[in-house]
Amino acid sequence: MKEAILRGLEQAYSNIHQMLADFLPRFMVMLIILALGLLVAFALRYILQAILSFTNLSRGSEKVGASSVLRSAHLPAMTVLLSRSLFWLTWFCFILIGLSSLGLAGFREEVFRILHYLPQLFAGILIVFVGLIAANFLSRTALLAAVNAGHSSARILSWLIRSLIWILTISMTLEELGVAGKTVVSAFSIVFGALMLGLAIAFGLGGQDMARRSLEKYLGDTKKEAEREPNPL
Amino acid sequence: MFSVLQFESEIPNLLAEDAFLSDDLLRQLMDVGEVDLLVGISSHDHARTTSHALRAIERSVQQHFTRQRAVIINACGEEKESRNKAAARLRILAEENLRFPKLAALRTIHQVNVDSSVPPSAGSALHTILAAADLLRARACVVLSPGSADLTPDWIAKLLAPAYQDNFDFVAPIYARHKFQGLLARNLLYPMSRAIFGCGIRELYSDEWGFSGRLAAACLNQDVWNEEHIRARPEAWMAISAMAPDFRCCQSFLGPKMQSTAGYDTNIVEVFRQAVGNLFWCIESRQSSWLESDRSELVHTIGPDHELTSETTRLNRHRIFELFQSGVTELEPMLGSILDPVTHAEIKSAVALEESKFRFGPELWVRTLYDFAASYHHAVINRDHLVQALVPLYRGMTFSFLIEYADSSAAEMEAGSDRLCGEFARQRPYFTEKWKAMIEVKS
Repeated sequence: MKEAILRGLEQAYSNIHQMLADFLPRFMVMLIILALGLLVAFALRYILQAILSFTNLSRGSEKVGASSVLRSAHLPAMTVLLSRSLFWLTWFCFILIGLSSLGLAGFREEVFRILHYLPQLFAGILIVFVGLIAANFLSRTALLAAVNAGHSSARILSWLIRSLIWILTISMTLEELGVAGKTVVSAFSIVFGALMLGLAIAFGLGGQDMARRSLEKYLGDTKKEAEREPNPL
Repeated sequence: MFSVLQFESEIPNLLAEDAFLSDDLLRQLMDVGEVDLLVGISSHDHARTTSHALRAIERSVQQHFTRQRAVIINACGEEKESRNKAAARLRILAEENLRFPKLAALRTIHQVNVDSSVPPSAGSALHTILAAADLLRARACVVLSPGSADLTPDWIAKLLAPAYQDNFDFVAPIYARHKFQGLLARNLLYPMSRAIFGCGIRELYSDEWGFSGRLAAACLNQDVWNEEHIRARPEAWMAISAMAPDFRCCQSFLGPKMQSTAGYDTNIVEVFRQAVGNLFWCIESRQSSWLESDRSELVHTIGPDHELTSETTRLNRHRIFELFQSGVTELEPMLGSILDPVTHAEIKSAVALEESKFRFGPELWVRTLYDFAASYHHAVINRDHLVQALVPLYRGMTFSFLIEYADSSAAEMEAGSDRLCGEFARQRPYFTEKWKAMIEVKS
C-alpha cells in the first residue's frame, strides 16, 4: 500500500516534471515572442506616427469631418488613433502566435478562427467609421443648405439624414460581421421600405394638396427670397 | 518678317507647354501672327449675346485703336451655327464701316474661335485666352463677358488704354451702382483683400477687366489651372495675382452697370462658395507673399472712385434679420468650432437683441471674418461648409448696414467704407497671430 502510494507520487512527480520540462521552454518561447512583439509594435507605432505627421493627415481628417467624429466619440486624434491601432493589432497578433506556441489542446484552432475573423472585424470597423463620417458630413450639408434657404425645420432634416445613415451603417456592419445577418437585412428592408412607403403614401395621397402647396411655396419662395436681399456682388 | 520667323521658331516649345490648345486653335493663332491688343470673350453662359459683344469690340478698336493690330479670341465654345450668324453680322458691320471711313480700322481685326464639344468653364476659357495672349505677344488684353448688357465700345477702350498706353498690368473696372448693391464686395471682398494684400481693388469680381501681356504670361505660368476655385471664377485670383509688388494696378470708371439692386441670378450660397471661398483660397495659397509684409498702397483710379445712386428699392429687412437669427441659432455648434470664444459670445448676445437695437459693428464683423479665414486655413471643419456657415452672419451685417445707411449720402457711405478698411488694417495683427498660432499648435 505504502509502496503503491510512493510509486503514485513518484509517477505524479515525474509527470509534473515532464510537463514542466515540456511547458517551461514553450512558456519561455511565448514570453520571448510577447516581448519581441511589444518591441516590434512600439517600433511600428512610432514609425507610423512619424510618417503620418509628415503627410498632414490631421488637416485632411479635419477637412473630411473624421476628426469631429472622433472628438464626439471621445477618441484621440486621427494620427494617434491609427498609430495606437497598429500597435495593438501588431501586439495582438504576436500574443496569438505566442499563445499558440504553448501547444494547448484545441487552442491552436481557436487562434486560427480568431485570425480568420480579423479581416471581417476590420471591415466592420471601417464601415462604422466611414458611415459616421458620411452621416456627419451629409447631415451638416443638409443643415447648412436648409438654414441658408430659411427653412424652419433645418435641424430635423439634418437629424433625419444622420439617423438614416446610422441605421444603414449599423445594418451593413452587422451583416459584415455575420451577426444575425439575415435577420438584420430583413429588419432593415422592412423598416426602410415601410418608412419610404409611408412617406410616399402620406405625401402622395394623403397630402396631395399639402405637397402641391409646399412645392409651390418652395419654388415661389426661392425667387421671392432673392428679391428680398440686396445683390451681394 | 523676322519677328514672324522668330515667333514660328518658338511654336514647338510653346506647343509642348500649351498642349491644352487644340491644333485648330494653334493654326488659327499662327495665321494671326503678333498683335498689340487682344480681346477675349470668356463666359459661356451668354452665347446668344456674343454678337453684341463682338460688335462693341469692333467699334471700340475702330474708334480708339485705329493703328493697332487686334484680335478677338472667342472662348465661349458656342455652337458653329450661332457663331456663323455672329460672323455674318460682323461682315455686315464691316460693310457699314466702309461707308463711314472715320470708323474704319487701318488693320484687319482678326477673330479666333475656340471649338469645344462642351462649353468651357470660366477658368479654362481664361486659360485659353492667356495662352493666346502669350503666343501672340499681345501688349494689352481685355476679358469680357458677353452677358453684360451695358457693354459699350467706350468700356472696352477704358480697360485697354491704361494697359496699352500707361503700362498698367491690371485694369479693374469701377461701376456706378445703387448704394445697396454689391454689399459683399463693399463689406468683405474689397476691405479684406486690401488689408491682407495691401492693394485695394474694389471690383474683384467683374464681368470685364483689362491686363497686360506681362501679367498674362505670369498668370499662365502658375500651376493653378486644375484648382476648382480657378475653374469656377478666376477673376479674383487674377486681380490678387496682380496685387504683387512687381505689377501695377489701376481702376477705371466705366459708368452705370445695369443690375437689379435686389435679387440675383444665382443663390447667395453659391455666390459665397465662389466669391468668399475663392478669396479665402487666395489668402491661403499666397500666404508667403502677405504674411510677413505690411505693404499698403493706393490704387490709381481713372475717373471717380465711387459713384452711388439711391433710387427706392424693395428690400425685406425684417426677413434678413430673421434669417440671421435663425441661422446663428441653428448653426451654433458649428460657429463655436470656427469662431474665437469671445467673438462667438458677442454674436450670441447680439442675436438675442431686438431688431431695433441690433447692430453688427465693424469691430465684430472684422474679427468674425478674420476668425473664419484663420479657421479656413486650419481646416477646422470642411472648408466648403465653413464658407457656407458665414452666410447667416453676412445677413446680420447686411441688415445692420441697411439700417445704418438707409438715408446716407454717397460721401457718408464712402466714409463708412474707409472706416471699415481702417478696422481691417487695425486688426490685421490679430489675424496674423491667429494664423500663425494655430500652425504652432498643430505642428
